Amino acid sequence: MMAVTAEPLAQPIALDGTRKQRGNLTRARIRWMVLAVVLGFAVVGGRLVQLGMVVQDDTIEGQTRDAITASRPPILDRNGLEMAVDIRVPSLYAEPRRIIDVNEAVRKLRTVLPELDEKWLKDRLTGDQGFVWVQRELTPAIQDAVMRLGIPGIDFITESKRFYPGMSEASHILGSTNVDNQGIAGIERHMDRESVALLQNLGLARGNALTPVELSVDMRVQHIMHEQLVDAMTRYQAIAAAGAMMDIYTGEIIGLVSIPDFNPNEPASALVKDTFNRITSGIFEPGSTFKTVTIAGALDAGTASMSDTFDARYGVRFGRYTIDDFHGKHRILSLPEVYKYSSNIGTIRIMQTMGKEAFRAFLTRMHFDKRMEFELPEMRVPTVPKEFSEVSAATASFGHGLSVSPLHLLAAYAAFTNGGNYIEPTLYKRDVADAEKLYERVIQPQTSMAIRSLMRLNALEGSGSQMDKEALGYRVGGKTGTAEKVINGRYSNNKNTNFFASAFPLDNPRYAMVIVVDEPQPENAQSGETAGWNAGMVTGRIVQRVAPMLGIAPDFSEALDEQIVPQAIR
Amino acid sequence: MIRSLNILLIFTSVAMLAGVYAIKFSIEGTASERTALTEQISDQEAQLSLLKADWAVLNQPGYIDPIIKRHQEELGVVPVKQEQFGSFADLPMRPAKPDTAAMDALFQAIDEGVDPIDAILELEGIE
Repeated sequence: MMAVTAEPLAQPIALDGTRKQRGNLTRARIRWMVLAVVLGFAVVGGRLVQLGMVVQDDTIEGQTRDAITASRPPILDRNGLEMAVDIRVPSLYAEPRRIIDVNEAVRKLRTVLPELDEKWLKDRLTGDQGFVWVQRELTPAIQDAVMRLGIPGIDFITESKRFYPGMSEASHILGSTNVDNQGIAGIERHMDRESVALLQNLGLARGNALTPVELSVDMRVQHIMHEQLVDAMTRYQAIAAAGAMMDIYTGEIIGLVSIPDFNPNEPASALVKDTFNRITSGIFEPGSTFKTVTIAGALDAGTASMSDTFDARYGVRFGRYTIDDFHGKHRILSLPEVYKYSSNIGTIRIMQTMGKEAFRAFLTRMHFDKRMEFELPEMRVPTVPKEFSEVSAATASFGHGLSVSPLHLLAAYAAFTNGGNYIEPTLYKRDVADAEKLYERVIQPQTSMAIRSLMRLNALEGSGSQMDKEALGYRVGGKTGTAEKVINGRYSNNKNTNFFASAFPLDNPRYAMVIVVDEPQPENAQSGETAGWNAGMVTGRIVQRVAPMLGIAPDFSEALDEQIVPQAIR
Repeated sequence: MIRSLNILLIFTSVAMLAGVYAIKFSIEGTASERTALTEQISDQEAQLSLLKADWAVLNQPGYIDPIIKRHQEELGVVPVKQEQFGSFADLPMRPAKPDTAAMDALFQAIDEGVDPIDAILELEGIE
């Protein structure tokens, strides 16, 4: 024991037990393990964060992949028939940086797509880009052929493309879309302004889930109108023909055709001259069809009545000018006779009973001097003088010296026959209850009744008799208008724009229609060149075909005409 | 005790590892199946869109009309005329009572061997 204590401050020999030693070792190992595990988790966690930060590169030539497959809602007519649908078509693209042999790729591609320019294609495929379009919107057959070539770096992507199964028949209503499926004209453009563009931007407009858009158009009526107007172009060697039909109670446009037209499936065909929409963006002097407006104004103001007579013996003199009648009777005419014989003198006298200011105010009330609120973007502002002089009021009373679009005329005729409520036309479906909220009273119901009688009278005994022969039994009535065209600042006496504005069936009118035939020639030696012979007969033929489709049964009973046109005014 | 626990844990972790791998591979399989299905669906949707467009074309009045015109003669169809429309109101009402006396007389005549139609035909010189 002494020896042990004598050891001078020696380090105490710590002798751990084996158990303790092993315990320490284990603790150290655990520490290392924990560190390793923590590091492992840190790596995994870091990777997760990294993955979360990755932004997927989906840019294709400046567009997102969503945009090129962006779809548009199908457009249906009022009976549910498709007027425009989306089809999925393959589009050819290339990844130039993955193409190994450009020359070979160009040579092979041109075996399938010979219309591609060799130099252009070579430039296109050379370089280091990741994506270039080669040709968009191809057919599945071409896709198969190109795939069989097996060129690396060439592939297809499916795009949405607009297709119009009706071809050119409803071209001016539908308009067209560009290669990116955006509306550029017609109702397509209007839809984009409303909502579709927004949906496409949000990336929501994909797949087939979009609710179809229902138009007011009836494709059957549209087809008949198109057919008859194309026929009128050859029959009367006209330079243009147009027509529109409207439901007078709802303002729905049932058909709208303007010839020459274009094929919306080939948007380039819309760029051809003269294919503009004559119903909305063409403005014309309405000629005698405007007499209905003048007479409605005077009857409504109470300054003229159906039993009044007007002196049409001599022309009306304004300074050096004398306005005379085309088919002059040169006697005293009753108001229905003024209408029936389309007397310019009589109409001026009727206008004069209400005065030029009141007449001008009536034109404003009938919306003749403002741009129509309508879905189609192609609209023109009518030209109606701000104030009338004595002469301009006189000429305006029979539709000269002012220009309005046929759509303006149509809406006015609808108001004249529906009981006196102006309703703005629309291309979307609308029911009577909704339309009634938009009604704007412009003439009294009894004036509307009188106008109906006059229109039917004109079909029975006046310039509409050619028309009535074609559409016998359907109680059509209307007014012709033969307006001399202004060529180099003068009225031409062999170039006319002919109109027929009508409504049917007049015992309980439902539809109004305006037909325009531009510069018609007589059909044969026996026929004339005034509106009754062309625009009128086209109207008759259209009504004869469409009335049964619209659920109007013919009725030949004299009593019905007696009821529409009382004996007193015949 | 610890030893057997460790062995148990090792076996469990091996089993779980195997399980995780199995799930991973099955998910990969499912994912590729899904991709294939999506592709198939979009392919079929594309075909469907073309078929629908075809159907829409075939239903257009503008498509049907020329076909009818082409076969007008064989089919014997022409646009309907106003005179061809009628209504139920135009049909004569049914007689209030059947004319039983006349019918009895007719049947009796036929029973007796006299056919009134025959007589008319003979009179007209037919037969």
